Amino acid sequence: MMVSIDLANGSARRAFALSTDAITGKATHRVAGGPTGLDEAVYRDIRVAAGFSPAAPVVEGYVGVPELSGQPLRLVGIDPFAEPPFRDYFAPAAGGANGGSLDASALTTFLTEPNSLIISADAAAEAGIALGDTLTVNVAGREIAARVVGLLRPADDVSRRALGGIVFTDIASAQEMLDLRGRLSHIDLIADDEAALAPIAALLPPDASIETAAARQNAVQQMTAAFEFNLSALSLLALVVGMFLIYNTVTFSVIQRRPLFAVLRMLGATGGQLFALILGEAVLLALLGSLLGLGLGVLLGRGVVGLITQTINDFWFAVNVQGVSVPPSSLIRGLAVGVGAALLAAIVPAIEAARTAPQSTLRRSTLESRIRRLLPWLVVAWAALTLAGAALLWLRGGGLFTAFAGLFAVLIAAALLAPPLTDVFMRLVAPLTGRLLGALGRLAPRDIIRSLSRTSIAVAALMTAVSVIVGVSIMVGSFRGTVIEWLDQTLQADIYVSPPNVTANRVIGALAADAVATARTWPGVARAVSSHTVQVQLPQFGRLVQLVAVDGDVSNGNRPYAWVRPDLGDDPWPALMAGEGVIISEALALKENLPTPPPDITLPTAGGPRDFPVLAVFYDYSSDQGSVFIGDATYRTLWDDARVSAVGLFVEPGQPVDEVTAALAARFAGRSDVLVQSNEALRRGSLEIFDRTFAITSALRLLAIIVAFIGVLSALLSLQLERARELGTLRATGMTRRQLWGLTLLETGLMGATAGLMALPVGYALAWILVYVINVRSFGWTLTMDLRPEYFIQALLVAVGAALLAGVYPSIRVGNMEIASAIREE
Amino acid sequence: MKRLWWVIGIIGLVVVGLVVGRPLWARDAAPPAASLEALPPAGSGEGFARATEPNAIAFPRDLGPHDDYQTEWWYYTGNLQTADGRPFGFQFTIFRRALTPEDVLSADLADSADLRGSSESAQSAQSADQSSSWRTEQVYLAHFTISDIAADAFYPAERFSRGAAGLAGATAEPYRVWLEDWSVEQVAPGQVRLRAQTGDVATGNVALDLLLTETRPPVLHGDGGLSQKGPERGNASYYYSLIGQRAAGTVAVGGERFDVTGLAWKDHEWSTSALSEGAVGWDWVSLQMDDGGALMLFEIRSGAGDDGRGGSQTRPYNAGTYVAPDGTLTHLTQGDWTLEVTDTWTSPTSGGEYPAGWRISVPSVGLELRGRPQMANQELNVSTVYWEGAVAFEGTRDGAPVSAEGYIELTGYAGSMAGRL
Repeated sequence: MMVSIDLANGSARRAFALSTDAITGKATHRVAGGPTGLDEAVYRDIRVAAGFSPAAPVVEGYVGVPELSGQPLRLVGIDPFAEPPFRDYFAPAAGGANGGSLDASALTTFLTEPNSLIISADAAAEAGIALGDTLTVNVAGREIAARVVGLLRPADDVSRRALGGIVFTDIASAQEMLDLRGRLSHIDLIADDEAALAPIAALLPPDASIETAAARQNAVQQMTAAFEFNLSALSLLALVVGMFLIYNTVTFSVIQRRPLFAVLRMLGATGGQLFALILGEAVLLALLGSLLGLGLGVLLGRGVVGLITQTINDFWFAVNVQGVSVPPSSLIRGLAVGVGAALLAAIVPAIEAARTAPQSTLRRSTLESRIRRLLPWLVVAWAALTLAGAALLWLRGGGLFTAFAGLFAVLIAAALLAPPLTDVFMRLVAPLTGRLLGALGRLAPRDIIRSLSRTSIAVAALMTAVSVIVGVSIMVGSFRGTVIEWLDQTLQADIYVSPPNVTANRVIGALAADAVATARTWPGVARAVSSHTVQVQLPQFGRLVQLVAVDGDVSNGNRPYAWVRPDLGDDPWPALMAGEGVIISEALALKENLPTPPPDITLPTAGGPRDFPVLAVFYDYSSDQGSVFIGDATYRTLWDDARVSAVGLFVEPGQPVDEVTAALAARFAGRSDVLVQSNEALRRGSLEIFDRTFAITSALRLLAIIVAFIGVLSALLSLQLERARELGTLRATGMTRRQLWGLTLLETGLMGATAGLMALPVGYALAWILVYVINVRSFGWTLTMDLRPEYFIQALLVAVGAALLAGVYPSIRVGNMEIASAIREE
Repeated sequence: MKRLWWVIGIIGLVVVGLVVGRPLWARDAAPPAASLEALPPAGSGEGFARATEPNAIAFPRDLGPHDDYQTEWWYYTGNLQTADGRPFGFQFTIFRRALTPEDVLSADLADSADLRGSSESAQSAQSADQSSSWRTEQVYLAHFTISDIAADAFYPAERFSRGAAGLAGATAEPYRVWLEDWSVEQVAPGQVRLRAQTGDVATGNVALDLLLTETRPPVLHGDGGLSQKGPERGNASYYYSLIGQRAAGTVAVGGERFDVTGLAWKDHEWSTSALSEGAVGWDWVSLQMDDGGALMLFEIRSGAGDDGRGGSQTRPYNAGTYVAPDGTLTHLTQGDWTLEVTDTWTSPTSGGEYPAGWRISVPSVGLELRGRPQMANQELNVSTVYWEGAVAFEGTRDGAPVSAEGYIELTGYAGSMAGRL
């Protein structure tokens, strides 16, 4: 499982890095502009006035090409004349008899025919597209016919993969298709050092800046770091559960072979040799198991990568993953972790086996008596570890890593508490079950206590798994509840008009001007609120945030705030509209550890960086990168950008909302670039994305349950088999098969109940940590904890159910055992 | 004008060259003819205007570009020296090539601008009339060389660009032709400033900054500027030269800057023509004599049986112009002159064997000249391989001794070139 997450994360990251590399090429620097890109005159000046040659203009954007891929693709407009120093895709394949992948006529067409595309030959073949086919390029809902005039056949596999998500077109076509006439996304440069760029820096307009190629990629990739880290941490949870299992198995094998070890010791084998023997076995098994795990992990990774890619596309940036790549480093890491964990888990039983004196090795009771002596210390260890975990969590300004370390500390501590608690619980429950069920009722708890070294491990494993289920369920539930409430408060307008988004959660492109005008003046509309969202990089933090130009509050004053400047009362909007400052999202404040009140925020305007006082901090669950609201008038003046990406309409009181919505939708019928949504539809859409995002969490949760179940099953099985002689004796003294079943199921049921009960507080603690520490640090979102009894009931049922189920097979085995052979064994 | 043919070739190869991003000669496996033929309009010229009328050239209008013709170039060469006599040569050429005729392009644009084309779709109309400023069918290519004769060093450089977005282009009034920061532009009536530089790491900074001052009226070649290239009507170019331009400025090579003066020659030619069957290349000669006379000759060489030395199989459309010191033009046709190769030089880079010594005889104007390249290696190994270099001649006109300097262009001598043409 760890391998699969690692692979899936890695694949997504690599796909992004590759496609970025594919675009970046050999560029060392780039000239980047404001939210609307750069004036193309900048490029002309670089070439003509400064005479700087290694420079290439790029116009890019995300588009949908249904014939080619279900995922958004990067449309990259290039000037082929400037390309050779940067990107070599248009170069002939090495050693190719007829030179290149493109002939001169393809390039002539590429230059002269509007909307002609060059795509990767592999992607084309996969989608069944041939040279000369006409594809539909969807740019924010506008559908544009574009013809494939060239197919790229890069020589190496890496480029081939990278090009899968890219569609090349001539820069003129890109400007026209993306509606970016006169603008460039950026200009790539090659320079040995900053000094060579001085003449360029001198002629840049104030909103343009030179950055290194790597810096931009980092900024973008940083966005998903928290998400990926969370997934990795979840996969580590599975490993923790797994370690309990390994411990259990090794102990079992040691105990079973005690006579053998005793004989070996008596024959002169040293403790060290026994230690080495057991560890050697563990390593061998771990190696086998890990290899198997790698295979499964790769298979699983193929499934998981889709989920991860979807989420990244929804929230952050378009990435087109062409299958799962399996780099050796990922496999080696998986193998190392697997074997390492097994060794760690096997070390305790191995030490035990090595330490015991020859004669005591023959007796199992020494182990049980030792664990009895250990019980008080386990409580102490629990307390210490829990305190350490809490300390880690409290650590102010601690990163995500310490938060997860704290989480694991708390979880492992809870597992340590399993043996003493099981002991106490069994003692408490014994009189009760004894009264209810007679001899069997007394027998079962005592059996569990007697085999505490085995039973408590099973309880601990089950408890860990179930508490993770509880914690994650509560967290997701709280998250969902918070988002629903937030949507209710924030989305107050009745109708929303926007371009259909290529990706779910990010507004791409702008609304046609005539659509904005039509919507604003539509009969029955009392008030219209427009917003325009662009991505800017904050020079203060190097962070990419959403800058939203608004001309009114779509929440109609219902929006909750984390902080409002005291002199503004509880409504910062009049000040915002007056251009007195900006409103920032909680995510930005938390992620950058901004104090309260927050300092001024510097925004890169068209006239250069400018400071804006912060008027308020609002709750926002739409972006974990941070959002900045700015008054519409201020934005229009300082950025010279008249576009509008969405309009919210408030219907006049008394007017039927449904009818107005339908009429407006009918007005735009047939226009693929305008989407009219009712309040309810938008809300539903948002929740769909939410649920999709947590699909991967559910998958992980399910896996944790399966692993725990297998663990409990194997623990119980070994336990029952080990007791074969005892059970045989019981059978011989008159216990019926039915009673045997009852005994076994009672025991497993009790263990399940213990685990389930323990999992409730632990699960709650985990949920608390996830909601109040991990989420805040990962995404900068404050959630309201939403506790529902069903999470706990569900957990208890899962625990007891899993345990009972795990008791079935051992019962059958033992029940069918021949009494005589069971006793005869010795 | 002989350059006409091979420039069609060059610019055809421009497109290939920019795709390939490295010199074509490295790809000897590719049959180059295929690359040329693959350029749809090459050779056919369908949809383009053609040169058909004598005396059609007018100034200043025709200083600028003629986008409705397929091919055009502004060609500056000159011989320079420092005050103490250190010689330099330069070539500065900007080529223009239309990939498709203009009207075809705009029709395409209107067709495919928008899928939906619904009546209310504002975008459809918008994208047709608001096309990107990068949209063009004009491709520009420039060659710039400096010959540092004393140091026996040759610095060739090449650039490509689309003729759009202000990156490259030409205007008649004020006169300006440029490709990025390589440009020639009018600074005063009859005076232009020519600037080019390369920042190539390997060669160091090579730069040229000259003021060129006109001293003589334009020379219209052929029939009043209509220079016939083949028997068909329209297989011709419009061709004029500005000779005897006084040059003054600086040359920078090898980390040094030199003040120089000298004489420059400008050709400007535009056409839509097909390459004659079987031609492998051409020789072009421009000489400016110390008595004030000037000579231009071009010869197209055929492939079969021609070893590239004798010019034995010249073609009926070879032509030349002799400008007498008083400005009188004498148009020369096949048979009016002999051009004899007296020496050869083999390029170590391309393996091409080039003429490297000549005897020119033009009996009708009493001209007898012998000359050599001022330095042997003036071969451009760029997207097309050819030799274009400074030459010096000595001889007599009507028995009186004359000396001349100028430029000679030799194309189709490197193996790969022959295959292409």
